[in-house]
Amino acid sequence: MYKNKHSIFLILILGLIFHKYYCKEQTYIHNQAKPPRFHVAEFNFDHVSDVYAITLWILLGSLAKVGFHLSHRLTEKFPESCLLIILGLIVGGLLYITHLAEQKAYVLNSDTFFLFLLPPIILEAGYFMPNRPFFDNLGTILLLAIVNTLFNTICIGLTLWGFSFTPLYGGTQFGMLPCFVFAALISAVDPVAVLATFTEIHVNDMLYIVVFGESLLNDAVSVVLYRMFDSFAKIGQENLIPLDLILGFLSFFVVSLGGVLIGIIFGVVACFTTKFTEHTPVLEPLIILVYAYLAYLTSEMVSVSGILAITFCGMVMKQYVSFNISKKSDATTEYVLKMLSSIMETIIFMFMGLSTVSDHHSWNTGFVLITLLACLVFRVIGIAIFANLANCWRLLELTRIDMLIMSYGGLRGAIAFALALILDETKIPRKKEFVTATIAVVFFTVFLQGITIGPLVKCLNVRRKQIEEPTMSAKLTNRMMDHVMTCLEEISGSGGSNSLRDKCRNLDRNYFKRWLLRETPQEKMDIKLLQTFKKINMQSAMKVHDTSKGLVPTPSSTTIHTSPSGANLRPSSTFANFSQLLAANLPEQTVPDLMFFESQGTEHYHDDAQMHHFLDTNLYRARPRATIHVRSKDEMADTNNETNNRFEKSYHHRNHIYIPPRLDKEQLHGRKTGRSSSGTNRLTGAKAASSTQADHDSRSSKHSLIPSYKRESFKSTNSPKQRQQQQKSKSRSKSPPLSSDQPIKSLSETKDIDQPIPPVSIVIENEDDTVKMDGATAAERICPWRRSSLPDGEKLTSTSSIDDPSNTSHTFSNTNDPNLHSGPLTSANFSGAYNKSAEYMGEFATITKPEEYVSRPHVRDLFNNQFRTSDEKQENNSETASNESVTRL
Amino acid sequence: MGSNASIMLQQEDLQNICQETGFTTKEVQRLYSRFKTLDKRDCGFLIREDLLCIPEVNINPLGERLIDVIVEDYGENNKINFKQFIFLLATFRRGKTKSTTEFNTRNSKLKFLFDMYDRNHDMKIDRTELLEVLKMMVGGNIHDDQIATIADHTIGELDNDGDSSITFEEFCETLSRIDADDKMSMKFLS
Repeated sequence: MYKNKHSIFLILILGLIFHKYYCKEQTYIHNQAKPPRFHVAEFNFDHVSDVYAITLWILLGSLAKVGFHLSHRLTEKFPESCLLIILGLIVGGLLYITHLAEQKAYVLNSDTFFLFLLPPIILEAGYFMPNRPFFDNLGTILLLAIVNTLFNTICIGLTLWGFSFTPLYGGTQFGMLPCFVFAALISAVDPVAVLATFTEIHVNDMLYIVVFGESLLNDAVSVVLYRMFDSFAKIGQENLIPLDLILGFLSFFVVSLGGVLIGIIFGVVACFTTKFTEHTPVLEPLIILVYAYLAYLTSEMVSVSGILAITFCGMVMKQYVSFNISKKSDATTEYVLKMLSSIMETIIFMFMGLSTVSDHHSWNTGFVLITLLACLVFRVIGIAIFANLANCWRLLELTRIDMLIMSYGGLRGAIAFALALILDETKIPRKKEFVTATIAVVFFTVFLQGITIGPLVKCLNVRRKQIEEPTMSAKLTNRMMDHVMTCLEEISGSGGSNSLRDKCRNLDRNYFKRWLLRETPQEKMDIKLLQTFKKINMQSAMKVHDTSKGLVPTPSSTTIHTSPSGANLRPSSTFANFSQLLAANLPEQTVPDLMFFESQGTEHYHDDAQMHHFLDTNLYRARPRATIHVRSKDEMADTNNETNNRFEKSYHHRNHIYIPPRLDKEQLHGRKTGRSSSGTNRLTGAKAASSTQADHDSRSSKHSLIPSYKRESFKSTNSPKQRQQQQKSKSRSKSPPLSSDQPIKSLSETKDIDQPIPPVSIVIENEDDTVKMDGATAAERICPWRRSSLPDGEKLTSTSSIDDPSNTSHTFSNTNDPNLHSGPLTSANFSGAYNKSAEYMGEFATITKPEEYVSRPHVRDLFNNQFRTSDEKQENNSETASNESVTRL
Repeated sequence: MGSNASIMLQQEDLQNICQETGFTTKEVQRLYSRFKTLDKRDCGFLIREDLLCIPEVNINPLGERLIDVIVEDYGENNKINFKQFIFLLATFRRGKTKSTTEFNTRNSKLKFLFDMYDRNHDMKIDRTELLEVLKMMVGGNIHDDQIATIADHTIGELDNDGDSSITFEEFCETLSRIDADDKMSMKFLS
């Protein structure tokens, strides 16, 4: 396989070369021809040459990556970065032989690097930055990034300069300032290399974030130092006055804080912009990317740290943007970011290998060795000093092993190389030596350290990223610990980081969210915990499924009545590969890496509808709310179709009509999209049709029968008490079956557009549906948090039976649809309201996402139920709204 | 246990406390002043309401349960005096190897957590207790059925001997993979 790939590359390269020569020949002939004639076809490579080369590079990079991953043995042993560099070397060798290397587009130049290749990587890193570990370790990170980098620069610079007085360099003279320039560029840990290496070894979050955070934030220091020493070298050593040093010191603050500020400003503006993009959702990802890039370019323009700017821009945006934009845009943004950064990283490493093969080298063994040694030694010393210093205030101390990994993970990379390339040879006469030494160091760190760090981590038994399955007890207790510690800190008045975090959260909630989000989430409940439960619930669903496989041998057999809670979770047996599917998505990865997206491919299973149903069962629905922001039209249209199809497919074939215990919004929507709701009666019928097909085969043992909805059900239910009771009531095993005349009629209307579906799936869907109903109801009969403390004090036990079943449908049709608008029930409203279902997949994807995604508000609907105090009011609103709508209909 | 903590902290008391708990003098003094701040009625002990006055505790879903544990297990007669208060907090001192006392071992921290569940002190977390805590922690967003499912699964996960309740040992065992020691530690200002 691998060899195949290689031959493909070779062919590609040869093709390129051939193009080149052919093109030259062509132009030559063209010039010779005296009387110009019309050309039927023209070969004009020059016209596209640069872009063509770039595109070819991207293609080559992608193919290389694809190729490497075809061979597991290769990628297990070697980090991808190494392989890419080797490939680059090979290609570089080819280009060098063919003298194509002189062409600008084929070698790494620092403009390309800094303007195009670097920003996406850094943006991705910032966007997926695990915020909490980052800020938890911010002190350590800053100490390492600033002081340690400074320390390294000075030590390395002095060492290199000091050795120039010995015969070690073979007589080549190195001035002091050039040495410092070189030290400045070589001492900074490279985020790209660290990212590439650390995501593969999966160390624990703390370690990862410390090293990676350092590599990101030390950019400000290294940029300043580099620029400072560079200009010093230009000014000349003898002309320097102390003022220059002070100015340099000042410029550090300007560069770093300026970068952060620009990043935050652009991030905030981006968030603010997305507040108004509801009608143009297709542009949302672009807006995010463009703002981030603009932040980078702006800060480069005013020569502050672009890396800091784009990092913080990404972090700020991540916090708020995803609350605003649609789930599709959110997924797109993430995907595009991953894609861009991954290809840029590939290209960077390839270019590095490529650019190595050139004439711009001057190998000076002494200098290279000293540089290498100095880099290693001072890295270790610096980490030892500053990590111990950081331990003075760190709660979780860095152990010796942590320090070792930290110093070992101090990889140098392309940034250093690119900086070395832009050195001015007139001012710094030893540029070639510097470039060579840089390449040597980079190669040494990337190859030797990069390859060995994985085994080393295993060997030293470094605490790995916890890949444990989220056991409920562990999650629960974890969360409990957080609560307890926050409280206790408050009680003891310690004002520790926990309460500081709480305060930040409050500030964030009270001000930023209010200004930047389309709708203000009332975050009083623990979203994260809920999500954990979602995840857990999924897992237990898998488990139950796995264990119950034997119990349900054939789909058509009557469903075994499991315990109520078990029934909630029991998936249908069609999901043979469901657990694998979930398992593929489940591993938690806080560290941004590609595995998530790789594994996401599995989600392209064919039967959306079934999965939606299943998810509906198992995911927690949030508290309904009266208002929700209007979704974009595109989405509405989109989902309209999708849902239509889905529902037709799911329900058309059913004959036996049951009224489900509760109607969830999907079913409701099915009714709407069935366009059968021409009147109140119809409405009921359609609802019944769409939602109650459930279990017609597995009927006999089924418990989910509800009394038929009477017409009276559409009288207004004005008593919140009643409603609450219904919501809380367990109607499952108590409801009598419903006669099915009406539903069938309305059903037939929808039938025309239906697609026939294989009989097997019928049953499954039914089962599924039953399950769903239970789940949906469970999720939807939500009482607000601490509802008992509300004045009405309606604390009803869940076992209270249905008092007024006739009201149920009404109640559910409104209060339980989180997306329901309080306005009249127009079809537009409904399609819009329902659009969420189209995104169930997104939800599914995000649910099993790494921890850091957990903070993502794909559960923005969850927010609804946060505002408990206004629940009653909202319900009343929706109620009146629905009454209104009913009468209109 | 001197319930009359309204008098100034005596020197020897201070020494004793420091010795027993491993706090430094400064930390104890600081905690004392904190205690005095919380003790608005100036009667030398804290009652539930005093603790509930702290806004963060008040809004915390587990706040009330925590106060239950504090005043019932660590205090007496629904009040907690300074000495008890400081013993309580000593539990959450960082468990460095050199300064471990009987209070801040991993076990005592876990015991505190366990007590958060186990309110009837039978050294077992049974289903109802778990359900109670779960409900506090998830609020009304999850239906009883599902909470019950979660509780069942949790018990199933932890329960080794099949008595459908969780003993302290079983509890500790599942938490062995969590860095409870770190998580249950805080920094005391001195």
